[in-house]
Amino acid sequence: MSQSLPADTARAELVGLLDRVGQGNRDALRDVYDRTSAKLFGIALRICGEREAAEDVLQDIYLKVWRRAGRYDATRASPITWLATIARNTAIDWRRAHNGPAMMGDDALATIADDRAGADVMAEDAETRARIFTCIDTLEEKRATAIRAAFFDGLSYPQLADRMAVPLGTMKSWIRRGLIELKACLGHG
Amino acid sequence: MADPIEMSDRDAMAAELALGLLDGEERAAALRLQLSNAEFAALVDAWRERFAPLSAGFASSSPPAALWAAIEARLGSDVAPATVAEMPSSLARQIGRWRAAAVASSAVAAVLLAAIVLRPDPQLPPAPTQPATPVERPVVIAQLAGEPGGALLAARYDAEPGQITIRASGIPASDLAPELWIIPDDGVPRSLGLVAADGTSRVVVPVVIRSLIADGATLAITLEPADGAPHAAPSSTPIAAGTISTI
Repeated sequence: MSQSLPADTARAELVGLLDRVGQGNRDALRDVYDRTSAKLFGIALRICGEREAAEDVLQDIYLKVWRRAGRYDATRASPITWLATIARNTAIDWRRAHNGPAMMGDDALATIADDRAGADVMAEDAETRARIFTCIDTLEEKRATAIRAAFFDGLSYPQLADRMAVPLGTMKSWIRRGLIELKACLGHG
Repeated sequence: MADPIEMSDRDAMAAELALGLLDGEERAAALRLQLSNAEFAALVDAWRERFAPLSAGFASSSPPAALWAAIEARLGSDVAPATVAEMPSSLARQIGRWRAAAVASSAVAAVLLAAIVLRPDPQLPPAPTQPATPVERPVVIAQLAGEPGGALLAARYDAEPGQITIRASGIPASDLAPELWIIPDDGVPRSLGLVAADGTSRVVVPVVIRSLIADGATLAITLEPADGAPHAAPSSTPIAAGTISTI
């Protein structure tokens, strides 16, 4: 990988820290928290849509990191990607358990315009980021919009159908066609 | 590998679960499948990996300063990470479900991994001269190895009387009693009742549960209050667990 030196260093340090967290080192968890909590809180806030819930979810996220760090495999995912996936899944779990309407706080709304540009990226993921963002951009607009809203806002099928004002079956069809195209795009060079 | 035009229903469901599109009963069904079916779980993981780089698109936002203290306070009552880290991920996933329902998680002395052997009863002679298939009377033998000096358990299941014989030693001294669980494909633990912390116990397996003692199911021991057993669900992390496998 031809990544810049500072990004490589940051990544290697985070991998080392997660290794120590996996051995039960609390100081290392604190260090991981200091480096990543703003990113993960941003994810929780965007998907939960409310600060109080996002704060609870963030606690759950780092408890999961504490328990699972021993199973982190640096050869399969970059540390920040692994952490972000835990964060998003935890926030989605909260959303599905509190199955209210798709609520969007001002904090969350302020970030929506950034999806396409991939603002606030972690430099280390630059190469892989380009690929999936590009692939989504090649999809038919409504399919791309639906998949982005599912990923970034954590919307379910019914919520997506509601937001984009189409029947549920239409939404499922859009998404499935989009997923097929996305898989093909990611699978090719 | 990926056909650009077709996608199986199962792969689509995996993608939908990974994206978080499913809701209600559809989501519950997909989560159950993820717990019980390694192939489906791998599809979900693959989709998560595909989408994961997108998370670079989330904006950062600083959490309140007091939040770390809240996290640190919760670490104190949590089980040390190594206990889960040592388990196979499929088992860890099941235990993750348990944790969600746990009212209290106590410190765990040791995690044991059981190697359980399901085989035909060797006492049954083969019946080559009979046209009918021989009656199956499978016997399950569990060999459990723990940390040096830790708990040691051995179990045998006799299908004919429907009884598990389990011998335990080295289980940490506690006011709590060891409770035996069977976890079939659906990931939901069913209690088989309490067993002795030291020595041999015989547990009669309820008829409705007998069919669950099969290849791929997990046997596990947790420490539970003796009152009210058998319990509807475990309240703590297993101190011993293993997957039944056929040889």
